[in-house]
Amino acid sequence: MRGGAIAILAWATVLLVLFIGNWIWDAKPVNAATAAFAAVVTYATGVALWLARREALRPGPPAPRSEPESVPQSSLAAVLIGLSVGTILFGLAWANFLVYFGAGILVLSLGRLVLELRSERATRRRLLGEEEPR
Amino acid sequence: MSVATAPRARLARRGGWPEALTSTDHKQIGLNLGACSLFFFLLGGVFALILRTQLAQSNMQVLSDNSYNEIFTMHGSTMIYLFVTPMAVAMATYLVPLQIGAVRLSAPRLSLAGFWTWLAGGLVMESSWLTADGAGRTGWSSYVPMSNSTNTPGVGQDLWVIGVILVALGLTAMSICVTVTVARRRAPGMALLRMPVFTWTALLSVLMIVAAFPMLILAMTLLFIDRTGAGHIYTGFAGAIDYQDLFWFFGHPVVYVMFFPYLGGAAEAVAVNAHKRWFGYTAFVVSIMMFSALSMAVWSHHMYTTGGVTNQYFAFTSTLLLVPAGIEYFDMIGTLIGGAIVLRASMLFALTFFLQFLVGGLSGVFVASPVLDYHAYGTYIVVAHFHYTLFAGSIFGFFAAAYHWFPKLTGALLREGLGKLQLAVMVIGTNLTFFPMFFLGNDGMPRRVSRYPTHPEWGTLNLLETIGAGIIALGVLIFLINVIVSLRRRIVAGDDPWLGHTLEWATTSPPPPLNFEAPLPPVRSYAPLLDLREQQLDRERRLEGAPA
Repeated sequence: MRGGAIAILAWATVLLVLFIGNWIWDAKPVNAATAAFAAVVTYATGVALWLARREALRPGPPAPRSEPESVPQSSLAAVLIGLSVGTILFGLAWANFLVYFGAGILVLSLGRLVLELRSERATRRRLLGEEEPR
Repeated sequence: MSVATAPRARLARRGGWPEALTSTDHKQIGLNLGACSLFFFLLGGVFALILRTQLAQSNMQVLSDNSYNEIFTMHGSTMIYLFVTPMAVAMATYLVPLQIGAVRLSAPRLSLAGFWTWLAGGLVMESSWLTADGAGRTGWSSYVPMSNSTNTPGVGQDLWVIGVILVALGLTAMSICVTVTVARRRAPGMALLRMPVFTWTALLSVLMIVAAFPMLILAMTLLFIDRTGAGHIYTGFAGAIDYQDLFWFFGHPVVYVMFFPYLGGAAEAVAVNAHKRWFGYTAFVVSIMMFSALSMAVWSHHMYTTGGVTNQYFAFTSTLLLVPAGIEYFDMIGTLIGGAIVLRASMLFALTFFLQFLVGGLSGVFVASPVLDYHAYGTYIVVAHFHYTLFAGSIFGFFAAAYHWFPKLTGALLREGLGKLQLAVMVIGTNLTFFPMFFLGNDGMPRRVSRYPTHPEWGTLNLLETIGAGIIALGVLIFLINVIVSLRRRIVAGDDPWLGHTLEWATTSPPPPLNFEAPLPPVRSYAPLLDLREQQLDRERRLEGAPA
């Protein structure tokens, strides 16, 4: 199987067997729900790996990649998203105005993220456009 | 060895602090997370020293009962949520892309946002010290009904709960990025069963985070709702048991999240310093998969004495953990046999990690048995057990990894002499601190008490533990001095000072922004650089006409 999904699917199956054992033994809804969640997440990861499988793995040095890839160097938006989530939750315990303040920053940072992604795409398109005549 | 000036870490130099704090380079994110968690380690260590001072003799008056509760809660919380777990994620974030030959991390913005969410969580958690009611004070597990607003009123405990939610959110986000990177960005030839040992341990750790941490977020969110009075969720005996089930569904896997990457680091150090490839690779991979699956099926062994769980099932799965653990030790011994062993600081820390973790693991066999656990529960035996796994184990694994990969991170070597001195000091301190706890616990000394009755043996043993804690602090101080000295008076490491086996040693030290400037070597096994060296040796032998 390509992409190495089999290892993760095997792990998910071991988890499932263990959880079924637990279900047979004590059948608590909380345990069943948590265990099912973990098994589903693991299966989903395995399936994602399977779907993302690549060409057959061959020995030898890797072929050079021809397609340009945009690599972000920094992201203020990501920093602000992290901090705004923190501010919102901090506000829930400390002071309500922080919830609104954090929500405002979150909206702004999401806007900034959109700009960053658009700029990244534009750069990539420009690069591709420049490479085509060659 | 000559002392010369090596290039400083390029990322930090390029754009200064603003660049370093907003960088989406996985190495910078990993360094930021590692540096912050190291700061929290020092803070948690200070808390531990205060605790041990209070317990040095019976009826000491250093702390009030309430302050003692705050300090031990914040010691455990800081160490688990803000040091050992995030340091494991930091190592994975920094090293996994390099080890699998990837030029970058997948979804780096998510990882960066995760780092800042985690840091916000840490600051929120520690900010609870500034409140009038004091910091969180119901232990790192914060059981209900003890942690509800009736029994623990005040905003300090609320901030602790919010801090934990943020920390869990941040680490989950960062773990998703590492998982996707392993799935999508492995170099050609890097099949899953050719990934380095450390990458496997890191992958399973981040998978466990993704599968188990949402339960912590859920448990804490419901607790917060309970505390605000907006709902009555954890009510009565069933509510208390439900909380514990949710909490320990996260709480036991996290023990392995705090163990696996350090195991991987120690395994890499052992293999490289023995100049042999890791013995029994496939068995090792299968065993850590079994290990992690079982670790997610043993959570209620923390609840044997509640009467609310099925002890037989959890005793069975807990005891099964011995099998994969045994395979790891077997692999480690197999790697050492016949190897050309060099006893560098990283190797010594790695071997000590395996030896000391054995004490924690074997004491785990006792507490995995419900019958024995009824005797041990709530006593210092449990404290000794988990400190032998997490401190005597994981922290020594961390130092093995630190001595092993510091040259890759900085381009400079740590001083070997200071490293060995640190090891000696820490071995003495660790065992002096934690081994007497087995005797105290067996004798019935309960954990989480700020005072204990006057008792000749308890007083002596506790005093020894306090002295041991001071010696550990000295060991950590030696490490910090070593880092400062090694960064200020640099000994150039070169790209591959240890003759490493894995791809991170094929690039410069520190690695460039896109990780690899030269083409990657072919990947035909989990030790591609060792393969290259062996092929070169074969060629030289053939040229000389000697038998290959």
